[in-house]
Amino acid sequence: MAVDADNKSPATGNAAISTPPRSGFSSPLLIVALAITSAIAIWGLVDTAGLAEQAAFLVQIQFTNRAWFIMLAVSFILIVCIWLALSRYGSIRLGRDDDLPEFSTVSWLAMLFAAGMGVGLLFWGTAEPLTHFDLFRQYSTPGQAAGQALFVTNFHWGLHAWAIYALTGLVIAYFGFRRGCPSLIGAPVLDTFGHNRVTATVSWLSNLLAIVAIAIGVGGSIAMGVFQVKDGLDTLFGLSESGAALTTAVFVVLCLSYFPALVVDLSSGMARLSNAAMAVAGTLMIFVLIAGHTHYIMGGLVQALGEYFGNVLVHGFRTLTFMDQPIGDWFQSWTLTYMVWWIAWAPFVGVFIARISRGRTIREFIVGVILGPTLFSMLWFGIFGGAGFSHVLGGETGIMEVVRGNVSAVTFYLLERFPLSLVTISLVIIAAFLFIVTSVVSAAFVLGMFSSNGDLNPSVKIKLSWGVILGALGAVMILSGDIAAIKSIIALGSLPFVFVVLLLVVCLLKTLKTEIRTEA
Amino acid sequence: MNDLVDTIMNIEVFLFIGVLVWLYFKPVNKDNDSSD
Repeated sequence: MAVDADNKSPATGNAAISTPPRSGFSSPLLIVALAITSAIAIWGLVDTAGLAEQAAFLVQIQFTNRAWFIMLAVSFILIVCIWLALSRYGSIRLGRDDDLPEFSTVSWLAMLFAAGMGVGLLFWGTAEPLTHFDLFRQYSTPGQAAGQALFVTNFHWGLHAWAIYALTGLVIAYFGFRRGCPSLIGAPVLDTFGHNRVTATVSWLSNLLAIVAIAIGVGGSIAMGVFQVKDGLDTLFGLSESGAALTTAVFVVLCLSYFPALVVDLSSGMARLSNAAMAVAGTLMIFVLIAGHTHYIMGGLVQALGEYFGNVLVHGFRTLTFMDQPIGDWFQSWTLTYMVWWIAWAPFVGVFIARISRGRTIREFIVGVILGPTLFSMLWFGIFGGAGFSHVLGGETGIMEVVRGNVSAVTFYLLERFPLSLVTISLVIIAAFLFIVTSVVSAAFVLGMFSSNGDLNPSVKIKLSWGVILGALGAVMILSGDIAAIKSIIALGSLPFVFVVLLLVVCLLKTLKTEIRTEA
Repeated sequence: MNDLVDTIMNIEVFLFIGVLVWLYFKPVNKDNDSSD
């Protein structure tokens, strides 16, 4: 996804929050944020195993003791979204009352898909359902396990994930376009509760936590993308022992690709690249549907749709407290990790979806942001997961060995079983690479904006600084060597932001209530 | 030790939820802005 930097004037400004903007390297927020993220990066580079171990330990304490709170929080966020869309607040416009949407509904939805279509979908399309299947089949028949595996995959990427994005984006859009606040995560706190020492501190801390969460989350995506591109190249050229050399080469090429984009303003170019990556991914999805066992995949897809929408709300409250240890461990390392991962990305994706949604009503915003990408993700996992299951349940065990050994190679293993594999594998590599480049460039922009008091045109120096930090964090995650360590580090960085998101929900609900009362 | 961590971490969460509920219902007087 890509964020451009055009400036929009406030709509009905309540510009009570006019702290004199201190951008550049004099901003204390920028200095502290750079210090914290650099310290994490340096620690990781010096002692990768130590950081990964410490992160896993702390995250396990958090997950063990607060699993109920995380699940309750994400379910609450989804329910608030549904309630807002159905309530009278749904007709409030994100902007002036006479503002019209900037983009047509079709291109708006396409851009939302692009925001959600990160490298994660390419990475996990087949790998995730099959990983869950590997565990679930120890508890049920293979057929039931496959259905369950697809359901939980859809749960991880579905309404709850997008509700987190939607609510964060809604807060940014409402307070930015309708109330004239700067595009900062902490701004709604000042607008809602007034400006005093306590609110200023909370607002500042919220901005800081958002920056840390974004930087670490994007660092993890860089690592995942690099692993995937490396495994794709291994498959394409039949390399078996490329190891660290190829990983390093991919990482260096990635850094060389995104640094120029931080110096020159390529915002519209980035948006085009992101859309191109999405078009490639969409083409791949249709190809797998048509070239695979179409009736089988469609059957699984329709069943997954029904099971998902029939059970999603109840499942959101499941903490699996009474299950045995393997299921408890699985729940922590998948469901809880995903939920905090979405929270890590929420300020980043939230800014993007807010910027493209000016002029929409709250109802349109929520329905589009939550339902559109969820349905697309379900199509994606239904098709890639279904294609994987058709191999596994058809008796081919090879793919399960890849799932257990190297998840980043699963997509390529699957595509090798289809015609035109040379073309499709190349396309996945290109799309993965484009997704990471556009994500890093956009993240450096958003981090620059957040750390320079909401300045919509952060200086090149600041963007470059964030580019270096993101690259270093990516390197740390790559050095950690495995996905589990990456997940732990991301979870650790994003867990504190759960509290910020809930505080923002209170700010939004309170301000909406006041607005309706004032109008009445 | 684990029980103590469990107790402290969950009490923090209960307090946080309590603060959120209080903030939601608390009347706001934005004119009372104090300088920092």
